Amino acid sequence: MTEAQLIRKAVEGDGSAVRALYERYSPRVFAVVRRIAGEDELAHDYAQEAWIRAIRALPTFRGDARFSTWLHRIAVNSALQALRKAETRRKRETPVRDDLFVAPESGDALLQQRLERAMDRLPEGMRRVLILHDVEGYTHEEIGELVGITAGTSKSQLFKARAKMRHMLTTSRSSTEEDGVEAWSI
Amino acid sequence: MEHLTAEALARLVDEAPTHEERNHLDSCLSCQEELGALKAQTEALGALPDLRPPRGDWEELEARLISEGLVRGDDGSGRSILPSGVGWMQVAAGLVLLLGGAAIGSSLTRSAGHPSNAVSADLGRTPELVALPAMQVGNVEDAEEAVRIAEQNYVDALIQYRQMAQSSGRFTLMDDPASRYAALDALVRAGQAAVRQVPADPFLNGFLASAVAEQEAVLRRISNTAEDNWY
Repeated sequence: MTEAQLIRKAVEGDGSAVRALYERYSPRVFAVVRRIAGEDELAHDYAQEAWIRAIRALPTFRGDARFSTWLHRIAVNSALQALRKAETRRKRETPVRDDLFVAPESGDALLQQRLERAMDRLPEGMRRVLILHDVEGYTHEEIGELVGITAGTSKSQLFKARAKMRHMLTTSRSSTEEDGVEAWSI
Repeated sequence: MEHLTAEALARLVDEAPTHEERNHLDSCLSCQEELGALKAQTEALGALPDLRPPRGDWEELEARLISEGLVRGDDGSGRSILPSGVGWMQVAAGLVLLLGGAAIGSSLTRSAGHPSNAVSADLGRTPELVALPAMQVGNVEDAEEAVRIAEQNYVDALIQYRQMAQSSGRFTLMDDPASRYAALDALVRAGQAAVRQVPADPFLNGFLASAVAEQEAVLRRISNTAEDNWY
């Protein structure tokens, strides 16, 4: 069944079509909301909310953009809005679960985990911009529109975030070397 | 010239250096290495893999989609919403919750000012649902089938009700969040009671989580009507 057919059936309330879309795109949706949320529990809630919004809005999908792009934008918007509404941020000491990753085609799982952990520990503003720019590929203008800041502020936050990430990863490398664990290779 | 700052180096990952910065980089091995590491870090971030949602995520989402009337209760291939291998307690509690929902749906219909009119008449299946506890089920399969039918009837009835109420120009469940909140509150309390009895049961916890999430969504809708259907 083509994607357009799946979407049409999903609009009609066909559960199997919705599930097929979910199976296809849930790792992508969960990845972006998990990184924006910064912790597993919130990520689960944000992902659910993103899907509800997307399915609710499905009749308005006209096919002007790719469905994946449309869905991704809804997920980002939904997570950012939920994050803004959160009254307090919890301490982020939750370790990244090993079973989260979807079979990486290349690269080092240890490196990925360290990157994820370091991102989780960034201050809120920096983290949002870093994820949207360096992970998700949004431009500073797009980020400004999404987050409600200027493109200049987005750049400034990005550079600070990169520097802080670098510092955290270097510190992490030092401590793991002391512990006799394999060091981060960047 | 002193070493370039970490933020300046972070900027040079995707921006050209100034003349002064270029001169420094040409002669400073340390800054060159640091810039290289920042570029590698940025590249690694762009290559991070997708992440698998936690187990049970779909089941919870499906329950919420059904509760909102966004999808039908089955997928046309006979798939049950119940996980395989459910126990008697789960089936029984599921029945209680679903039948409670049906009763709430029925009471909402009456409270909406449609006594014995066409809408109520079209909800003719509801009395059958309420009578379900008297059904004799001999095994788990029968009970599961009874739950499936009850669930389907309940969702069908709500969908019919919503459509007819909407076409008649009167309130819908979505337009009357206060009533919906009250109804969900009853479901949440029933779910909490069930979870207290079987705290580790994933089905009951999933159902309760869905009901709580939906209740919170309705609360948000009440407090922020302007953002309803925002996406």
